[in-house]
Amino acid sequence: MQIELSHLVPLPLRDKLQQRPSDIWNKELSFAPGSFVKIKAPSGSGKTTLVHYLYHIRNDYTGQVLVNGQPWQAYDKETLAAMRQQQVSIIFQDLRLFEQLTALENIELKRLMLPRPYCTQEKVLEMAERLQVTHVLPQSGRTLSYGERQRIAIIRALVQPFRWLFMDEPFSHLDDDNAQRAADLIAAECKGRQAGFILTDLDNDHRFAYDVNYHL
Amino acid sequence: MLPFFALLKKIIQTGIGKGRLLMATLGLGIAMLLLLVAIQAHTDFNQLLYSGKNQNESADFLVINKKITNAMMGQPEKSMFTPEEMDKIRQQPFVEAAGFIISSQFKVTAAAPGDLQFYTDMFFESVPDSFIDVQNEAWEWKEGERSIPIILPNDFLNLYNFGFALSQGLPQVSQETVKNLPVKITISKGLLSAEFTGRIAGFSDRISSFLVPASFMEWANERFGSGAAAAPSRVVIRTRDPSNPTLVKFLEDNGYTTNQDKVKYSKTKLIVQTIVSVIGFFGLVLLLFALLVFSMFIQLVIASCKREIQLLVMLGTGPGQLRRYLLRQFAPLYLVTGVAALVLVALLQWGASRMLAAHAMYVSAWPGAGTLVAAVVVLLLVYLVNNRSIRKYIAQNS
Repeated sequence: MQIELSHLVPLPLRDKLQQRPSDIWNKELSFAPGSFVKIKAPSGSGKTTLVHYLYHIRNDYTGQVLVNGQPWQAYDKETLAAMRQQQVSIIFQDLRLFEQLTALENIELKRLMLPRPYCTQEKVLEMAERLQVTHVLPQSGRTLSYGERQRIAIIRALVQPFRWLFMDEPFSHLDDDNAQRAADLIAAECKGRQAGFILTDLDNDHRFAYDVNYHL
Repeated sequence: MLPFFALLKKIIQTGIGKGRLLMATLGLGIAMLLLLVAIQAHTDFNQLLYSGKNQNESADFLVINKKITNAMMGQPEKSMFTPEEMDKIRQQPFVEAAGFIISSQFKVTAAAPGDLQFYTDMFFESVPDSFIDVQNEAWEWKEGERSIPIILPNDFLNLYNFGFALSQGLPQVSQETVKNLPVKITISKGLLSAEFTGRIAGFSDRISSFLVPASFMEWANERFGSGAAAAPSRVVIRTRDPSNPTLVKFLEDNGYTTNQDKVKYSKTKLIVQTIVSVIGFFGLVLLLFALLVFSMFIQLVIASCKREIQLLVMLGTGPGQLRRYLLRQFAPLYLVTGVAALVLVALLQWGASRMLAAHAMYVSAWPGAGTLVAAVVVLLLVYLVNNRSIRKYIAQNS
């Protein structure tokens, strides 16, 4: 799955962006399938905005996000849903779990969304074990700590098939050990699918073997 | 239930506004009941009027004549039907066929054979053969035959058996006996006369007259009559529905009269039709309101879960999945309502058929096909309207 950016400029940040250089904004850019992409960005430079544009939940921009040669707007809602179930996955910065569901149910919701789930429940439990959140699985989403929520959100993003995984500060609430465990799991899962990811973060890091590094 | 839908159930709470949903369901139930009852009542009434079990054979035929008033006495031509009047009758939509009743223009006497001591002056009339229900070789006459088939009115035999025979000490006779009784018929005009053997071919409630085949009447009128074709004073019509109010009005407007017994259902039918229509109308109005409340309820559910629905869509839930889930929440409800209404109507129908049977009126013990079709149509309508509102509000909120 090919993702290209063509002179993408977010409307709310237009004036601000004209005053400083960027590897991403207002450029012609193509992400090679299967590559691990890191986008480093200071606060307020439109990191989350970019991830939302890539995942097509915001479209207040000029220019285009092209998916397989077509702008996101060309896809209808059902096709978009199908792509979010099988082609692209996301870890939101604000995590976005359902508080009325337990941690496990939040993961299951995503896993069972596909009539033929991509992975088994055993696989989910195994991933929970690796990220050391097995004990919180039966807990309501409301009672989880941020760190626990973040790990549940990571597992949720990994139970579906995808070609691209978008991550917006995925380790912001995790200590280094937990962050590395999560990164290893993500890398393994991406490799297993021959999928790529686009990760945005504030700082430099060496948790992944990045193929490309950009500054936003 | 699909495991995914089980999870959706925890997110999209349809429990909100349960009272409203209950009201909508109740409204739908009552609306369906009224509609189905109206349709079933209509079916039943038609069955009572037209089905073979409830019908005596005369229901389809009416003999029409002009009212004889004092002013008309002594002027037989005033009671005749002119060709224009006849055409007008034929053109009425409720008249399927119309024919003259032709009277004999000669004298007729009948005598019973043997020592029954029965002798009477009488008359013959004839109608086109298509109005006679004894349609077989028994009802045929060809020139040269000495035997004439005759149809007697049922009333005549009753008058004889229960009035005349009892008072005169004569034997009562059965229909079979009468049919086997050769009657000596003499027709005459002045000095010219001819003798025939009358054979009773059947009894009729349709036309209260002594009927002979049209072919015989034609021959005899030519031979023994005045020669001129007489204008008819009675007309027989075939109609699908003698209780048709327009027919009754037509007769009244033209000063015609017929056997009132046969048109007595007309008023009842009008009243029943009105009541049934009113019930059906209320049913329809109620149905519309129920649909409206359903739509509003769906809107409320979706609006109250707007955020959850948006997140679900963000995570990749298809709008189609959401629609299917919501439909599954509501569809069983109105399916059950529909079936309940149908069962209730079936029970009512069963009860009604038993009650009516006690009065020798027969209607089917099961709801009619029209009622079933109506139930299916209403359910389909509810489904379509709900599907549309779900589609609309999901599209608005995703």
